[in-house]
Amino acid sequence: MKPNKPARKVAGKSPTNVPVKALHPHLQALRDAVNQVDFNRFRFWFQLVAFVLFVYGGYLAIDLGSKLPFFSCGYNKEGRAGVCYLLPLQHQLGRPLAMLFTAAGLTILTGFLTFALWFIVLNKGWCGFVCPLGTLQDWITALRKSLGIRYAKYSQSQFAQLTKIKYVLLALMILIPLGIGGGLFSHDMSPPFCLICPARMILPVFTADFSQFTVDFSTKTAVVMTVLGMLVTALFLVGSFVKKRFFCFFCPMSALHYLISKAALFKLKKDGDKCTRCGDCYRVCDMEIKEIADDVTTKDIMTDDCTLCLKCVASCPEPGALKATFCGIPIFEATEAGFIQRMQKGHSDAH
Amino acid sequence: MHTKAHTVIPIQPVPYSRSRQAGESQTVLDQITKDFDDNPQAMQYFYDLFQKVYCQGEAVPHEGMLVGTTCIQAPEELIYAFGATPMRLCNGSYHYDQRGGDFMPAKSCSLVKATLGMLSAEHVIPNIGKPDLIVNPTTCDQKKKSSAMIEGLGYAVFDLEFPNVKESEASRVYWQRAVREFAQRLRTLTGKKLTRKNLRAAIAKIARAQVAFRKLHHFRQLSPSIILGKDAFLVTNAYFFDNIDSWTAAVEKLNEELAQREQDGIRAVQKKAPRVLFTGSPPIFPNLKLPLLIEESGGVVVADETCSSNRMLYDMTAVDEWWLNDMVDSLADKYLKPCTCPIFTKNDDRKRRLLELVNQFQADGVVYQAFAGCQVYEMEVKSVADAFNQAGIPMLYIETDYSPDDKGQMSTRIEAFLESLKAKKKRQA
Repeated sequence: MKPNKPARKVAGKSPTNVPVKALHPHLQALRDAVNQVDFNRFRFWFQLVAFVLFVYGGYLAIDLGSKLPFFSCGYNKEGRAGVCYLLPLQHQLGRPLAMLFTAAGLTILTGFLTFALWFIVLNKGWCGFVCPLGTLQDWITALRKSLGIRYAKYSQSQFAQLTKIKYVLLALMILIPLGIGGGLFSHDMSPPFCLICPARMILPVFTADFSQFTVDFSTKTAVVMTVLGMLVTALFLVGSFVKKRFFCFFCPMSALHYLISKAALFKLKKDGDKCTRCGDCYRVCDMEIKEIADDVTTKDIMTDDCTLCLKCVASCPEPGALKATFCGIPIFEATEAGFIQRMQKGHSDAH
Repeated sequence: MHTKAHTVIPIQPVPYSRSRQAGESQTVLDQITKDFDDNPQAMQYFYDLFQKVYCQGEAVPHEGMLVGTTCIQAPEELIYAFGATPMRLCNGSYHYDQRGGDFMPAKSCSLVKATLGMLSAEHVIPNIGKPDLIVNPTTCDQKKKSSAMIEGLGYAVFDLEFPNVKESEASRVYWQRAVREFAQRLRTLTGKKLTRKNLRAAIAKIARAQVAFRKLHHFRQLSPSIILGKDAFLVTNAYFFDNIDSWTAAVEKLNEELAQREQDGIRAVQKKAPRVLFTGSPPIFPNLKLPLLIEESGGVVVADETCSSNRMLYDMTAVDEWWLNDMVDSLADKYLKPCTCPIFTKNDDRKRRLLELVNQFQADGVVYQAFAGCQVYEMEVKSVADAFNQAGIPMLYIETDYSPDDKGQMSTRIEAFLESLKAKKKRQA
């Protein structure tokens, strides 16, 4: 028999006596209610309201400016309640190069700051809860589900390659307008990303505006760009039918978000000590982010592909292992009771 | 005159209840029930169950085909989905351990030997009847090698291919494929089809058992404890062969009683009883030697990290869309990703899990049991001891087997260990 290791006295506090902050009973009751919410239903209604607001809010004269950190498409002229920041950004960058270094260049800076201010409030939560194009993809997913068709997944190696595309698109989205301003490219390419973005064609449809479904035959470049736009839109519709959140994976806005996400107030936190790596969070992730289950050291667990939809939190059975925080205050936390309730709901809904 | 002088008196077969093996079980069961006061009333279900099955040798009923499993990595949900009943064959009897010596080298794991010994016996205890199929996940070397031996004993065996590396994507995909092949095999065996409906029902059935288990598990966080570890082990041991629905109902009843006990302030131990986390080779009835020694010496086992209890029932399955493929993949992930079995190359997850359990259950110390010959658990001792050492948590390593011979010296060591935990507690207070 081997000698057993004698216990050594260790200075410092033992991990057993972690003080637990007691909440006021009312606050605790509220927190329990939130943590056990029927999450999918909550999110569905939240998204629906946000969709209506940003696609039809314009009719009620709502205008939240043109620096919004999600696809509230500017081409939806009648209904929009604000404009996606990518549209003015590309226009500003597309000005004659000399202008960029004058006072006009400052507007780019202030524009970016306004965008960043919007962004830091919800972080990528804009994608998971507000973005109309994101919501639309979730509805297409619901349609697929109701037709009894299974979804597709990437392999891990495909994932690793494809996840870089959004950065390429972001770089092009900045470089091409600069090229236009510098006279390298035709103005017919402006704004380059909007011309290929599916939101430009699809969102106006919701206000009965089909004008974007045309090929512009005025110049060769215009033909190429508008045809490309149509192809991407077709790809979007087919893609999001077979793949959950198909487009978000390639979204340059998502890439831009990630670059400034450190400063965000809304965060997805993970306590790796509490994680058993069961993989439940990964199983429900629309974006197939494996780190959410496997990474047990990173505290700030949001990755560049994340849409902060918080489905992972809702499906985590380990209390406190995953949580969404706002300015450090837990808003929505993984609990066992919540997990069990939602799982049983899943069983009864599965018919 | 012819007399009956030469009549041979035939040897009467000894009834099972009077066999050495039944005696072994009876002794342990008596210890569990009679050496402790105030056992929860709801435990009676489990005491009776073990009395009937292990001490009297009563037959254990099952529905549909019987699929024996030699490890918790075999997805039970699939077996239920095909209308069959899974039963865990891992055995804890010393009698069978000795029998199993015919198959394995002397210095091999008691559990594997006992399982082989049991399968080679004429009248198997627990008396489950002959399994229509035995699924043997390819985990440790001894289990791997016993596969062919079990086949040699006339059983149909399916080797469920289990990877050695947990972290890689390649092994995840490999394992998913292995699970699908298992489903295929079950299909040929039962002649039934796997459907969304029956797999979902099977997942729900096990989830209900898991929810009950988790509740029991959480009651053990209370300090002072309201239930002893020997009872908790008996409950999870019963899961091996009991009808899952009756088992769940019995655990739910136990939970109700524990909730009442909590309210009434009834506790199962003295306030200062050292709280012990149990890890390593799994205690399986009747080999509850070590947990019983701990609790007879005034300690209490508050949690465990063993495949006969916590690891078997803790991690639950989540499914996003309830398609057949999704459910099967989710199951595969659940059976691989959180597994803390020592057969894997790395044991970071196990160490993390142990530290978290110590934290959650306010354990004062850890008892690490390794069956002599269970190389993987023996080999992990150093890394686990180092992790605990760093965290300032005392750990007692005990190498043992199913034989009762070492009980004396073990009890001395355990008493000394518990004393040191008490002294440490006092110093800290």
